[in-house]
Amino acid sequence: MATLASSSSIVFTANPSSSTSTSSSAARSLALPPRLTLSSLSSSTTLSSLFSNSPTSVAYSTSSRRVLTCIPAFSVVKASAAEKKKVLIVNTDSGGHAVIGFYFAKQLLGSGHEVTVLTVGEESSDKMKKPPFNRFSEIVSANGRTVWGDPADIGKVLEGATFDAVLDNNGKDLDAVRPVADWAKSSGVKQFLFISSAGIYKPTDEPPHVEGDVVKADAGHVGVEKYISEIFESWAVFRPQYMIGSGNNKDCEEWFFDRIVRGRPVPIPGSGMQLTNIAHVRDLSSMLTLAVENAAAANGNIFNCVSDRAVTLDGMARLCAQAAGLPVEIVHYDPKAVGIDAKKAFPFRNMHFYAEPRAAKEILGWKGTTNLPEDLKERCNEYVQIGRDKKEMKFEIDDKILASLKVPVAV
Amino acid sequence: MASMVAVQAKQPSFSVLPSSLSDFNGIRLTTSVQYKRKVLHPRGALHVSASAAKKILIMGGTRFIGIFLSRFLVKEGHQVTLFTRGKAPIAQQLPGESDTDFADFSSKILHLKGDRKDFEFVKSSLAAEGFDVVYDINGREAAEAEPILDALPNLEQYIYCSSAGVYLKSDYLPHFEIDAVDPKSRHKGKLETESLLEARGVNWTSLRPVYIYGPLNYNPVEEWFFHRLKAGRPIPIPNSGMQVTQLGHVKDLATAFVKVLGNEKASKEVFNISGEKYVTFDGLAKACAKAAGFPEPEIIHFNPKEFDFGKKKPFPFRDQHFFASIEKAKSVLGWKPEFDLVEGLADSYNLDFGRGTYRKEADFSTDDIILGKSLVLA
Repeated sequence: MATLASSSSIVFTANPSSSTSTSSSAARSLALPPRLTLSSLSSSTTLSSLFSNSPTSVAYSTSSRRVLTCIPAFSVVKASAAEKKKVLIVNTDSGGHAVIGFYFAKQLLGSGHEVTVLTVGEESSDKMKKPPFNRFSEIVSANGRTVWGDPADIGKVLEGATFDAVLDNNGKDLDAVRPVADWAKSSGVKQFLFISSAGIYKPTDEPPHVEGDVVKADAGHVGVEKYISEIFESWAVFRPQYMIGSGNNKDCEEWFFDRIVRGRPVPIPGSGMQLTNIAHVRDLSSMLTLAVENAAAANGNIFNCVSDRAVTLDGMARLCAQAAGLPVEIVHYDPKAVGIDAKKAFPFRNMHFYAEPRAAKEILGWKGTTNLPEDLKERCNEYVQIGRDKKEMKFEIDDKILASLKVPVAV
Repeated sequence: MASMVAVQAKQPSFSVLPSSLSDFNGIRLTTSVQYKRKVLHPRGALHVSASAAKKILIMGGTRFIGIFLSRFLVKEGHQVTLFTRGKAPIAQQLPGESDTDFADFSSKILHLKGDRKDFEFVKSSLAAEGFDVVYDINGREAAEAEPILDALPNLEQYIYCSSAGVYLKSDYLPHFEIDAVDPKSRHKGKLETESLLEARGVNWTSLRPVYIYGPLNYNPVEEWFFHRLKAGRPIPIPNSGMQVTQLGHVKDLATAFVKVLGNEKASKEVFNISGEKYVTFDGLAKACAKAAGFPEPEIIHFNPKEFDFGKKKPFPFRDQHFFASIEKAKSVLGWKPEFDLVEGLADSYNLDFGRGTYRKEADFSTDDIILGKSLVLA
């Protein structure tokens, strides 16, 4: 047990499984002896590794190896929810994660925080005609600020604005995130949050992916996670999977509805038993909001940013059909045998890809609300309302798959 | 030697004894012993809890779960009686159990000999004895619980070993305690028992394990793999091998059973109890090999529909995803599994199969049917 001489008599204990929410005011009043100030730390040392009793094999602490717990000797003062923050969201201009920033912005604004969304690229680009960008008026009318620019020039783009917290929902590697992180650090941002990916977990025979599990060392996101853990006093990383929700930039459930409403078979690679995690984006947003509002608890942790249930690929097809009130015919195929590009043919990974949000539940007190049977009904309603069920569509890859399945496969 | 029926006056010998307990030496077990335990709360605050020794009845207790549970309860200072037909010895030394530990346990464990299907006998014998708490480890049907409830109107707690097999099969997993159950499942007797307990108003707790494993397992779970690994045979796994299941070590389950004893938070609650992580069928074959020190096995996938196995089962697990969240038990009870899968399988192997003991002889007849056929799935 390391005891630091400090004016507020705080006792530090090494406690890897602690989920104590620490008082942010206590953390701020921490008086480190000069030799332990952050500026004197080399890039390979982390604050937590100084206090650990055993050598850490990872350069940054994960939630399962967190060794620093602050237990004030006085009564704990919880971070007040009334404390409003100035939050910057650096948002990607496309892809499955784009919608996260949209919901997060709206939720923060609804809670009275100040929000700026910096979307990569130009406001006039064609990409901005797609959701969620074509609904950014909803952010503006809620008093949020929307700007566009190149994250590499972020300081210039933001013209000297300062923030309490930054979420990078854009970069997939250090090249993309470093300019944002470095600018944030130098401009005094206290909390840095990063949208990583559950795709970095190494495949396992023992699902689910749990925070602290081994990740692919060469994944771009891993480099970012490591870097921000080293340079920020308060940081958290979020690893999402797939999501559904109005304003999504990338098809998810739509892929199933396209086929089901047209009475077409749904071709699913492999056995259809592959487990995946499909969350409503509001669950991701609520997790991020909790992290901003209780920064001390979130600090130093990795959070799987997913719903609390897995669904099989076949199951997803069935749930979509139920939501649509229509029958479904599922056909299974082997992508290699058919000779098609698996990624183009099907929007989900052809393997178990299943993380659970255990850290968020234990550490942030987060609760999942995704209810696929119900949520998919709402999604189906919108699908029909925008007329997508009537849209002309080609299913070239599907046709190739179905044609090949009529040929008996020799064993 | 185990004592028969009547309560014996015994000197309590608590193995964990702060000096404040010296006042209680010599007190007969027929009076409840009050002692205070200082338990160091993980966050550093001191928790002082009063824990009374209870008069506990275990229905069963000589086969698997009860063997470990009874030992934990006796160690905690409770008076434990096993209700069994007496087919198996009341106390048998466990592999790895020291002579002194075994002597202590066997001198304290009590036996109530009878057939629990003889409801009249159950009611009269239990009423005559009186028990504070019943652990119903081997009950299958609601009718079996009735005489126990009738005999013990002042029962403090009825702790039941149910099963995650009661959950309705789902595409949307894991199973949580709030999920729909299947009134037509093979385990409907367990469901009906849970309903009866609720209806009778007794303070009940129900634990729902998934697949239980560990030394002395009589269900060929790990043993099935160990037989094949030892024989150097390929492991035949139905369909894709991606089916996800979940194993829980028997000692972790026994610990959970102890955790709910006298625990207000467990009152009228159901808890899933199993391992932290799930595992694919293919992964389980590999984990068994790793745990037992065998090379990575050859796995053969087959389509069960292409074969006629008669009444025999070609594979010991349900051919579907089957796993449950243990989050409720972790957050409400503060319980967590100690064993991870490979560690737990190694524990089982080292204390049981690896010593040459197992319950069922190897039977490779279904394997040979599969391997004999020329068409197998890649």
